[in-house]
Amino acid sequence: MPRVVVTGLGLVIANGIGVTNAWNALMNGKDGTAELKSFDSSQYKVHRACEVKDFKIDTVFENETTANTIHKYTYTAAKEALRDSGLGDIARSNRERAGIAIGTLAGELPPFEYLLRNTPEDKANGLDMGVALTYPPSSITTLLSEDFGFEGPNMVSLNACSSGNHAIAWALDLLHEGTVDVMLVGGGELIPQTEFTHFHNLKALAPDKCQPFDKERKGLVIGEGAGIMVLETLDSAKKRDAEIYAELKGYGMSCDGHHMTAPHPEGAGAIVAMSNALSMANLSYEDVDYINAHGTGTPLNDRMETLAIKSIFKERANEIPVSSIKSMIGHTMGAASAIESVVSCLAINNNAIPPTIHYETPDPECDLDYVPNEGRETEVNCVINNSFAFGGNNVTNIFSKL
Amino acid sequence: MKKKVVITGIGVVSPLGIGHQDFWNNLVSGNSAIAPMEGLDLSKYESKNGAEVKDLNTEDFLGRKGLRYLNNGTKFLGSSAKMAVDDANLEIDDELSNHTGILIGSSLGNFAQTTDYFHDIIREGPSEVSPMKSYDVALNSSVNYVSVFFKMKSFARTISSGFTSGTDAIGNAVKLIQNGKAKVIIAGGVEQISLDLYMIFYLQKMLATGNEISMPFDKRRDGFIMSEGSYIFVMEEAEHAQSRGAKIYGEISGYGSLFSGNRKSDIEKRVEKACNAMKLCIDDAGTSQDNIDLISANGNSGKLSDLIEANAVKELFGEKSEEIPVHAIKSTLGESYGASGAAQTASALLSINNGLVPPTINYDEKDPECNLNIVNEKHERNTNTVLINSFDLSGNNSCLIIKKHE
Repeated sequence: MPRVVVTGLGLVIANGIGVTNAWNALMNGKDGTAELKSFDSSQYKVHRACEVKDFKIDTVFENETTANTIHKYTYTAAKEALRDSGLGDIARSNRERAGIAIGTLAGELPPFEYLLRNTPEDKANGLDMGVALTYPPSSITTLLSEDFGFEGPNMVSLNACSSGNHAIAWALDLLHEGTVDVMLVGGGELIPQTEFTHFHNLKALAPDKCQPFDKERKGLVIGEGAGIMVLETLDSAKKRDAEIYAELKGYGMSCDGHHMTAPHPEGAGAIVAMSNALSMANLSYEDVDYINAHGTGTPLNDRMETLAIKSIFKERANEIPVSSIKSMIGHTMGAASAIESVVSCLAINNNAIPPTIHYETPDPECDLDYVPNEGRETEVNCVINNSFAFGGNNVTNIFSKL
Repeated sequence: MKKKVVITGIGVVSPLGIGHQDFWNNLVSGNSAIAPMEGLDLSKYESKNGAEVKDLNTEDFLGRKGLRYLNNGTKFLGSSAKMAVDDANLEIDDELSNHTGILIGSSLGNFAQTTDYFHDIIREGPSEVSPMKSYDVALNSSVNYVSVFFKMKSFARTISSGFTSGTDAIGNAVKLIQNGKAKVIIAGGVEQISLDLYMIFYLQKMLATGNEISMPFDKRRDGFIMSEGSYIFVMEEAEHAQSRGAKIYGEISGYGSLFSGNRKSDIEKRVEKACNAMKLCIDDAGTSQDNIDLISANGNSGKLSDLIEANAVKELFGEKSEEIPVHAIKSTLGESYGASGAAQTASALLSINNGLVPPTINYDEKDPECNLNIVNEKHERNTNTVLINSFDLSGNNSCLIIKKHE
């Protein structure tokens, strides 16, 4: 089976646009949380979000509606990742052996919301030609395929907060089967008012900041952005002398089969996801140097995730650094695990771990090393990246130094 | 040696009937499901016809609990998944649940309910919207519901790739069983008719006009008819199925998918990619085009898409393209979008088991530009290997090979 490596990265997140800016911001503990601007939040109790700031659109969009799509972020991050990998627009590769997989939770809701808000009488008012063209989630990948000349398989992963990792897992399987040589993978998300309301009414939103694993944690902060990476077979990367960030060693999936919204209280599904990932990667719990946590900052998730980590890592649970970048960039939903995969590769490449900020009061139920408030330089050879979605939909992946 | 992946259960919620028996009887008899739509208020629009699911009594399959919070899509998916599991005589006990996953393709998922929810938010105010209204509004919540219903532990995945969603879900499930990620996967496609779906097609002028009937490959065709439904399969590692003595409908032996684009691509390129996707799929199945007995066409009555498909088939099969039978079930069923490839899979399995090919109805006036052997009457034929074409308007081309299990 071919080995699969990461050769290009792209990021658009609340505390930085572009991999260099974003990584520096993350290591410096820069909080991307600010007043919510995507829509008027006056009817809500929460007014904060992690929105992408000072974003300049890097492409020609056909009209105002499409300019307000996830595409603006996925295009920008994909362009960065492809340039970074040296593949450019992949013109020189075998295009049919290059595919795309992108995860999203809400897809292209905001353009519809934007239209309907102005003329709320009839739902059909939210559906104009611009919306019709981008509304099916598959537009996220088909637009990228056309922009960059990909002709291989194409898939949008609709798996709530583990969408990005599902897309990466699907791509890894295709690369292993030998169907493709290159996969552009990742996730993208905007902040739809619909999802904001959803979390708000479930009382899952923190009023001001996201404090994963802190005793006073009050919930998540909603976020947006995109994280994209270029995956390719080691052979393909070597042939073109590409720089390699990390190897994607494997993934583990599981399903709680327990409840539509609440996670399994003891983290049964999370344990299976991590353990399946380790076994696919042919690694032991002793090999892992860093856990990039799902860490949403909700009371239930962080407690459950801590329990699951203890169950897998046993006596090592207290010595492995665990951090949640959601403390700085919010919960970017379908993009989150993809962005965290990019950050996991950067941790390996830079031998450094971004912190969990806003960590103030230890919680006796969450008693691991959460890399509080300050980034850390340390050797990082192997990272496990967790994503646990609503509905108990779990995917963990593992990256390590080649 | 690749593991063989077989189908041991079929669950159907279709405008042609509830359960695969009714679906099949209507399909082979050419009883069209297309009629003026009752579920949508279309008084302001010209196109009125569609194929809607009727007479589904969800309680029969899912019990009464929590039913009123479920959307149509979830009811379709839940009911058909239950039918498939019962049909397979499969008991998902504690041990098997660890090796059972669900993989569903849907183009829009529960998008229509998500947008309804938003409509409520702006009309009523966010604090007035009942939390129960958000119970089933995630794009993938139908799949979550089914995973909880059957207590599946292996994985749950929803994929969206437009018209090819269901085909891609089935293709992906084959690979996941082959690489040992699961022994059993509940897989297929689901799509529900909604104003959202209607407007996407209506605004882009893709729907049939005039008499509003579906006539794939006919010279008079000018658009498709919207349809809905859920077509779900119990897909199983062949060894697992045999060890429990399960009835086997057939084997999914090949899958291939390529992207041709449409905004920047001319017809030649789209024909070439569709042709290459079929080739890829046939290679994946380890067979050759000489062994294909039947082509289940994407043929949805679209002017351009049928033309592209006909030319791609001609390109690949050469002279043989005038002999090999081609049928388009969308003539009877309509275009069920993300569920359509799964509907074709159900039809292919039933063709193999019953030795019959359902007709392409409304095929009266041959289009010289689509010069294929279109089956327009119910046709007895011993069928061993079926090629399924599933092509998306924005450029995904996915194919499956379904074959008799030996």
